[in-house]
Amino acid sequence: MSQDRKCDVRPEGATAPDGTTFSRRSFLQGLGIAAGVVAAGVVPAVLVASPAAAEDGTATATAGAVAPIGSQDPLAAIIAADQPLNYPGKPVYYADPAGKEKWAMVIDVKACVGCRKCVYACVEENNIGRTSGFTLIQVLEMEPGKIDLETSVLDYEEAGRPDKWYMPVQCMQCAHPPCVYGCPVQATWKEPDGIVVIDYDKCIGCRNCMITCPYGARHFNWVHPEVPKDEVNPKVPLAEKAWTPEKCTFCIQRTRNGKTTACVEACPVGARKFGDLNDPESEVSILLKTRRVWRLKEEESTEPMIWYVG
Amino acid sequence: MQMTDVAASQTGIKRFIGIDWNIGALKSAGSRYWAFVSVLAILITLGVLAWIMVLTQGGAVMAQRDGFTWGLWFANYMYYVGLAAGGLVVYASVHLFGAEQFRPLARLAVLLAAILTMIAVLGDLTDLVRIWRIYWFAVTPNLSAIFVYTGSAAGIYMLLCFFDLWVLVTGTGGEKLAFRMTLIALPFAIYLHTTTAFVLALNKSRELWSTAVMVPIFLTSAIASGIALLMIAAYIMQRFNVLEFKASMFRSLSTMLAMVIIMDLFLLVVEIAFVYWPSSAKLGHTVRFTEFLVGPYAWTFLPVLILGSIAFALLARRKTRHLPAVQITGSVLYVVAIYFKRYTLMSMGFAVGPLGQRQAPYLPSLVEALIAIGLLALGVLFVTIAAKILPLRVPLEGHGEDGVSEHAGMPGEPLLESGAAL
Repeated sequence: MSQDRKCDVRPEGATAPDGTTFSRRSFLQGLGIAAGVVAAGVVPAVLVASPAAAEDGTATATAGAVAPIGSQDPLAAIIAADQPLNYPGKPVYYADPAGKEKWAMVIDVKACVGCRKCVYACVEENNIGRTSGFTLIQVLEMEPGKIDLETSVLDYEEAGRPDKWYMPVQCMQCAHPPCVYGCPVQATWKEPDGIVVIDYDKCIGCRNCMITCPYGARHFNWVHPEVPKDEVNPKVPLAEKAWTPEKCTFCIQRTRNGKTTACVEACPVGARKFGDLNDPESEVSILLKTRRVWRLKEEESTEPMIWYVG
Repeated sequence: MQMTDVAASQTGIKRFIGIDWNIGALKSAGSRYWAFVSVLAILITLGVLAWIMVLTQGGAVMAQRDGFTWGLWFANYMYYVGLAAGGLVVYASVHLFGAEQFRPLARLAVLLAAILTMIAVLGDLTDLVRIWRIYWFAVTPNLSAIFVYTGSAAGIYMLLCFFDLWVLVTGTGGEKLAFRMTLIALPFAIYLHTTTAFVLALNKSRELWSTAVMVPIFLTSAIASGIALLMIAAYIMQRFNVLEFKASMFRSLSTMLAMVIIMDLFLLVVEIAFVYWPSSAKLGHTVRFTEFLVGPYAWTFLPVLILGSIAFALLARRKTRHLPAVQITGSVLYVVAIYFKRYTLMSMGFAVGPLGQRQAPYLPSLVEALIAIGLLALGVLFVTIAAKILPLRVPLEGHGEDGVSEHAGMPGEPLLESGAAL
């Protein structure tokens, strides 16, 4: 009966001159219901907004891990925070399974001369389409006195200018990767050794991962990637990448076979160091413990696995 | 019941799923009607051809690139979803607030909501360059991806609106079910909006999107543009003698519209103040926003402020706001302003990339434009046909006292039972 009353919003009160029929009771009733429906609409959306609420168990358990003060190994918390995310349980098909390593890179911006040798080596190693219009490494030319991305120049023509400095940017293999959080179909995930990979055969091409990445590290193959036949690297997918995004994989096809990345190999000044954080004797572990290092956009809480020094 | 009897005696009325489809009205339609429908059909065909080009030749035929990761489709998605939810708020106020003067709009509002959501979802789908893998969306949905929520919400909301339209047109379940449908559809509309705003707001990578005010501003823009569109649609329907409305209804609508417009503009001004206030200004924000105030993107953003203010001034003026010309002009201005706003919002994420690189202003390619126009034509076609064959006219008071007498069931069916059945 009370339901009927609720439904019957016919006038109990006065009728306005223009025929409007509002009564205080029905108005208040409506107001209450409206408040309820607004809450009902917003609450679920707020709940999903927290990545922690939606991630799988492993990620929630490790999220926000902080190095205990006085801890003997300052790298322990960093390594602990870098866990597999949306990992399908099997390795990416074009590389060997992950080992026990936790890969990281340190880039010395004081040494970098901006020659872009790393960029070209990466293009050749990773079957980047020669007409695709992007590279996985982007070297930024910066003004002295600041780390200001807003005034940085990507398409500088002359490198090694003494009045500038250079900062290479690529996929940071974040411990909390926004791209992995943002992929609606779990076509990208974080491997146990920390490398973020893409399943080109699963990607639906929505490009949300490119939107979520704060480092502009993902690039879309708007055209079929074209590589001269004699330059194709058979260990890296090529045709599969068409109409999907791609990014730096720390040269997963090389590094899981005991080699280093193409960019590290190509750097003429040794500005890039790559290695395993789980190995306390590795160059990167030593650098992280002994030098003043920093990470790009640290305030975004993405926990990048590439550090800068210089 | 009276309506049903009259309808049954007419020729050309076919009953299907409980609705009296007035197919006969199509036969008697004039040549201008069919010319319009033909134009729409041509536009839809062009859209389909353009989409086939995307499917066969890939994303390169679109103007979207790494810098402008999303383009026209996204602006349209936000726009259509907003228009859809806005109209529903008007309809819901009939059932929630007893705003009886809006009752004649009910079927039209729900019809528009359903069709607008449909073209919004189709716009999203036609942009996926690997759309045939869409089943992964259901197989391995990623619960931390906001797309999963907004995509599914849009789909469900569309179905809800179509079902709601069926409930209203057939009178099934009477006023009680219509009321309950409102209770389901309205929170869903807000949920859809919140999640759509979150598609932008949840990205810390995009400085101008990443603001919590995005959600309320989405709602106000949606409601304002939705009401404005509904008013325009109502005037068009009245012009073609499909529906009739009282002048007082239009006056109520325009008062409501003026109120929401000023809220919408207020939130925008608050956000601008936050971006530029010396103690809150951040380089990432100011550099990007300046592109929209005095930079190469000013043409997308300034119309939002200018058209919006004019629309408010027109509709807020007590002496003139009862004039249909003022109401129509104000509504059209705001519907256009919100389109500019959606286009601006889309551009705000991309004008300056995450690494600080400026992107040349994006203009859609012909293929993208044809897909968008085709989808719009599809929506207009649905409304054009529905205006002829669907009983959009809400029965006058007295016939459908409690909505049960509208019920198209068997004459012998006890009223109470039919009402309680659902």
